[in-house]
Amino acid sequence: MSQIKPYDFMVKYQQQKDWIDGRGNFIAFAFFLGGISGGLYLAAAYFDSLLGMFVAWLLSLLMGVSYMAHLSHPFRSWRMFMKPGTSWIARGFIFIMLFIGLTTIQLILSQWVPEATGAITVLKVLAGIFAFAQSIYTGFAVSYVSAIKVWNSAIVPILFVTCGLSGGLAILLAITMGGDHAQLVMLENVIRVVLIALAIIIGVYLWNTTYSSTAASDAVKRLIGGSLALLFWIGVFLFGIAIPIIISITSYFAGEASSGLLITAIVSEIIGGLALRFAILKAGMYTPLLPAE
Amino acid sequence: MRWGMAIELKRCVGCYECVLACKAEHFLPPDIFWNRVLIGETGKYPTVTKLIYNVRCNQCADPACVKVCPTGATQQREDGIVWVDEDKCVGCRYCMIACPYQMRMMYEDENAQYFPGQELTEHEKIGKELYPHQPGVVQKCVFCKERIDAGIEAGLTPGVDREATPACVISCPTKAIHFGDLDDPNSEINRIIKEKHGHPFHPEFDTDPSIYYID
Ligand code: SF4
Ligand code: SF4
Repeated sequence: MSQIKPYDFMVKYQQQKDWIDGRGNFIAFAFFLGGISGGLYLAAAYFDSLLGMFVAWLLSLLMGVSYMAHLSHPFRSWRMFMKPGTSWIARGFIFIMLFIGLTTIQLILSQWVPEATGAITVLKVLAGIFAFAQSIYTGFAVSYVSAIKVWNSAIVPILFVTCGLSGGLAILLAITMGGDHAQLVMLENVIRVVLIALAIIIGVYLWNTTYSSTAASDAVKRLIGGSLALLFWIGVFLFGIAIPIIISITSYFAGEASSGLLITAIVSEIIGGLALRFAILKAGMYTPLLPAE
Repeated sequence: MRWGMAIELKRCVGCYECVLACKAEHFLPPDIFWNRVLIGETGKYPTVTKLIYNVRCNQCADPACVKVCPTGATQQREDGIVWVDEDKCVGCRYCMIACPYQMRMMYEDENAQYFPGQELTEHEKIGKELYPHQPGVVQKCVFCKERIDAGIEAGLTPGVDREATPACVISCPTKAIHFGDLDDPNSEINRIIKEKHGHPFHPEFDTDPSIYYID
């Protein structure tokens, strides 16, 4: 809080800094990694891509590292299991651990004991549940905060999950490239639908939030026309939606996209996902305690 | 028992004595304020009203900070006081984000000094021994729980006896801040809140604050 000038404190709309400045950057990374890891695992389990599931496991580990980097006392992080009854961060921490644990066993079995199909299926289902939980909880952790009106929306968890799924599918596409052509086409079709859904959800979220409160509408204005406009229009809109959708539609009509174009779409989608988390976290504004100017 | 405050806004002259008393009582490092005096204005010239609000953690009965804390470091005592067990805090800052009153702060720079480049003052040296603050954990007002606990043990009554009453309350030169038990229907604080129509600050935040303001 020390960056806030004493005479501004709670008398003006104040941007939240704790989850975006300095160490706070790591929380945005953790939320992003949790989303794509969950999305990738679900997609990879569906398409039965062992490499995809392994990358999802790696991304989840990275998420844990990013989380630790965000804490001032990471060696006490075991305490974060303590309050799952009310805290989304505690719940999330449990989801991540369970996801990593279950996926580790599943990957070992899939690689070295592939005949244990029953156990592998059960583990895939369980890990899939926690992959989804790991992805959606990041949205709930944010939307639970009623103090920050632009976050306090039921659409945020849906937005984060969809964005995670689109990033996860993009990574799976990268993994599948050069492999089974039919699977590649199917993946591209799914990505097209998810991207359109993501664009619609972002639109609905912004529209809905604008009318929820003054602080929220102020935050939306900053996103689409103020200090965060560059991040939103270039990061979220251009990279996250426009470029991948244009390439996807081009490939649909042309029959097949070149690998250069596909890689552009994949990288662009991942940048867009990261930009979305940063944009939403940066948009968080507190309502002033005294009447604002 | 539920400790609470009633603050008479018309009596507050904005002298910041409560802020200084709190700083001295808890040996608060630079940039850390457990209570503040907010100054604002409403209206348009020539009918402008100056607003002076002395604010601190509201020791909410339904505190957002306690709910979100993943480690249980932020806790609520039976007497309603919300406090942070510094040894349990991991510094995730979720509580800072969740408090709608923005009453929590992170103590980060343990090398920060009031007079940089010079030796620590005697007050700072004593503070580091008597009231050590852990870097990387969250802090907030605790209604001077140490004074309350020691006072009760000595047979004193918080809100009545100076030694058992929060430092900001006893330091206020205009007696704008009252302290007492909100659960006791006969307490002085309840009488004041009732007679002078005390109301919580931003009740729409829905955390049931234990501090009442009197216009
Ligand atoms: S004012 Fe904020 S920090 Fe204090 S108890 Fe209420 S929610 Fe918690
Ligand atoms: S910063 Fe500390 S007190 Fe606050 S929620 Fe995290 S662990 Fe709890």
